[in-house]
Amino acid sequence: MTPAWTILSAFAGALLVLLLPARMAIASRVIALLASLVGAVAAAVSCLARLNNPLDPVWSFDRPWIPGFGIRFHLAADGLALTLLLLTGIVAIAGVLFSWNVERRPRAFFAFFMTIIGGVYGVFLSRDAFLLFVCYEIVILPKYMLIAIWGSTNKEYGAMKLTMYSIGSSALILIGLVVAYGASGGTSFDIAHLAGAHYSPALQAWAFPILFVGFAVLAGMWPFHTWAPTGHQGFEQWKPVIAGLALIGIVYGALTALSQKDLKFVIGYSSVSHMGFVLLGIAAGTHWGLRGAALQMISHGIIAGLLFGIAGRVVYERTHTRDLTELREFDLWRTLPGAAIGFTLATAASMGLPGFSGFVAEISVAIGLWQFSPWLVPVVALGIVITGAFSLRALHKAFFPVRNATDTPPSLLPPLTWPEISAISLLIAVSLAIGLYPKPWVVLIDDGLRSPVFHSILYLP
Amino acid sequence: MQLLPESVLVLTALVLLGAAVAVEAQSGKPICNRVAIVIAACGVVLAGLALCYVPVDVDSGKSLIVIDPLAHIFKAVVLGLGLLAVLLPPARGEIPQPGEFYALMLFALTGLLLTTGTNHLLFLFVALELASLSLYLLVGFSRTARAAEASLKYFLFGGVSAAFLLFGLSFLYGFAHSATLAGVADALGAGPPSALAVTGLVMVVVGLGFKLAAAPFHYWAPDVYQGAPATSVALVAAASKVVGMVVLVRVLMLGFHAASVSGSAAWGGMVAGWSPWLAVLAAVSMVLGNVLAMAQTSVRRLLAYSAVANTGYLLVAMSANGPSAAGAALFYVIVYGLATLGALAVTAAVERDRGNDSPAAFAGLIHRSPWQAVAMLVFLTSLAGIPPLAGFVGKFALFSAAMAESTKGGTPGLTWLVGLAAIMSAISLYYYLSVLKQAFVRDTPDGGNAAAGPTMSPAHFLAVALPAMALVVLGLFPALLLDPITAALVASLGLR
Repeated sequence: MTPAWTILSAFAGALLVLLLPARMAIASRVIALLASLVGAVAAAVSCLARLNNPLDPVWSFDRPWIPGFGIRFHLAADGLALTLLLLTGIVAIAGVLFSWNVERRPRAFFAFFMTIIGGVYGVFLSRDAFLLFVCYEIVILPKYMLIAIWGSTNKEYGAMKLTMYSIGSSALILIGLVVAYGASGGTSFDIAHLAGAHYSPALQAWAFPILFVGFAVLAGMWPFHTWAPTGHQGFEQWKPVIAGLALIGIVYGALTALSQKDLKFVIGYSSVSHMGFVLLGIAAGTHWGLRGAALQMISHGIIAGLLFGIAGRVVYERTHTRDLTELREFDLWRTLPGAAIGFTLATAASMGLPGFSGFVAEISVAIGLWQFSPWLVPVVALGIVITGAFSLRALHKAFFPVRNATDTPPSLLPPLTWPEISAISLLIAVSLAIGLYPKPWVVLIDDGLRSPVFHSILYLP
Repeated sequence: MQLLPESVLVLTALVLLGAAVAVEAQSGKPICNRVAIVIAACGVVLAGLALCYVPVDVDSGKSLIVIDPLAHIFKAVVLGLGLLAVLLPPARGEIPQPGEFYALMLFALTGLLLTTGTNHLLFLFVALELASLSLYLLVGFSRTARAAEASLKYFLFGGVSAAFLLFGLSFLYGFAHSATLAGVADALGAGPPSALAVTGLVMVVVGLGFKLAAAPFHYWAPDVYQGAPATSVALVAAASKVVGMVVLVRVLMLGFHAASVSGSAAWGGMVAGWSPWLAVLAAVSMVLGNVLAMAQTSVRRLLAYSAVANTGYLLVAMSANGPSAAGAALFYVIVYGLATLGALAVTAAVERDRGNDSPAAFAGLIHRSPWQAVAMLVFLTSLAGIPPLAGFVGKFALFSAAMAESTKGGTPGLTWLVGLAAIMSAISLYYYLSVLKQAFVRDTPDGGNAAAGPTMSPAHFLAVALPAMALVVLGLFPALLLDPITAALVASLGLR
């Protein structure tokens, strides 16, 4: 099974779901689950193969696509891409399981869902900037539809806002890409070619921030991979700014999360804080920093999936509120113990407690940052402390409320279903696995960091 | 042989007129829509077949009519878009005399075909006017007050712009002592451009700017799009715009390719010439078109302003003054034509079903008629430039070619204009999405979700399905069309 099966299975799943007759609409979730399983297994098999034969050439698929512009259909999977594929596969399975009970227009739901998954796989595998951009943009519309149709509060506004942010940032990325294309001679969109081209310092000075902001707006789905090509110099020049932004992001995100009333907003701002670590690792520009950034992306993918799944699906489905004070009435610890346990473990992982993936990632970033500038590390420590504070506050208020004996007893909630339990267990298991035995992940990430694309900012033997 | 497709069209038009008269004389009623559509469509298909037998040759600079590779491709494209417009049927009772209406469509197509294949200034004008005069009539054909207003506006603006064009062409003749574009190029190569040539060029660009609905020559567009029969709008929006672009490419790339007259719109390296003018027109069109489109409550008017904005993107590529950028622009204008035509066809169906063409009329379309909603999704997302549809590839090619042509040696070049275009294109998603939001997210207000949706005749179905399929195929395999166009452009105009 080659890594190509990830993309193929996702898009094939989306297509199959659409072709289902109306009376079999509910079967769409089975198809989506199978497609996600195929993708995850393909990614896992490829990861294992890479671990066993680290010296083999990386898998790649390269065909001309639009010769007039030197655009090729070029996919390749180094270790870093493979770990991210595996992450996507796991989160896709969990996503389908969390959405198992979607009853409103299930075919459309799972078709959009699988399209997004396919696009994300594509982003990780693309080695041609055009292809990467296609995969990046392909998810915009399904994302809009998912939120606007199946979202909860204020959904149409939120969907449009996210879409305009996404398309705006991709416009900036587009500008950066065509600038790099023009300046590198206008012959190829291959990422290695763009990365190897020589750009004048003047060009880098103004082109780099455009591209960087474009990726930063989306808080880096896969940030450094593509803006790295615009060059060492631009990167060097803007390094302190990026590091500053990252630190502000960590502390600001954590502080804002501290004062939120909506459980989902707490998780949202904690994501801002988490992605700050990714950015910080990149800004440090050291081997440890980049490794930590990659680990944090994976860890965040797992943990955020878990937190959002529990708060947004499992709990909201039953209580129809995410307000921290209203949740108090439900006494979730007693009425929904499974969700409370899951959320507690997820919070521990999110806070970066040892044993979970978040710890490995954050310690790596901190080491990388120490190598770059020891003075910045205390700020990170501050961020970690505030993260602990807001995580515990939200956990306490939402799941373990203080209740008086005189309060009305909470109404009973339907217990967790099997798909929900499987999804929660899967994500917790993966986070623990990374936290307790990070070696294979680190080996694969290092394999990716050795690729020529990163030579401009980092050289590994 | 060279005029075989045009002859077929004219003959079909005459047959159609004859049949219409005969039917009316015999039964006292005008020929029915369906028969007229079938005859006209057969004529266009036959013309397409005839096109295969037309010998292709590069212009020697002597003949009035040239069938160079560029003309050959675009005659096929115009016939294809024309066929789709013919297939989009008018609403019941909208067209009083279908025989004459479709005969005029065929005459308009004849004019458009002739326009694609000439490098001769005078013949260019005559062919363009043949098309324009037919189009003025087609726009007003439904005889409603709106259509009359649209037709009058179109005619007045068109008349003035034709005067500009003719006046400009006469200046060029006075400058070059030759009525061919090659002659103009030679005269420009011989020495610096005189005031005569510059004046002529400005007037020609104004004339063509009207055809392309570039701001500030776009005032006719919203009224025509809203008031005219959908069939006529389809012809104006797609085929006529493609031809306008071909003419612009021919005039600029063949006649005025010289750097002394093209100038440069590069940031910090502005040199007077047509390139900076086009850049300004492009910027104004993009900003005005996109901003005004957001405020529209009629989807047809929205498409009209989107036409203005899209002309802006096309002019961005033209102002880079290079063959690959011009090739990308020609590719994009075809893709744009397909998407707009399809969107108009779906809008027409919804309008006939719900009585108006506001975005709210689309509410719940996914439940009423899923495949029409999906087709609309394809058209509007292609216009917005979302992959994997052809509109995305077109815009990407447009922008990257403009950058590659203009940023030699790390200068910022046209980055300012391409950047503006990319941002404006991102903004455009807002208003396209507001239509799609109604179609996919909202429910039909009167709870008529289960009711039968807008029904369509087979011809109407084709007018929606064919462009949608073309956009998907061209989005996945753009090289099918992009490479031939660029090759034809290079071969026809002798560019490197």
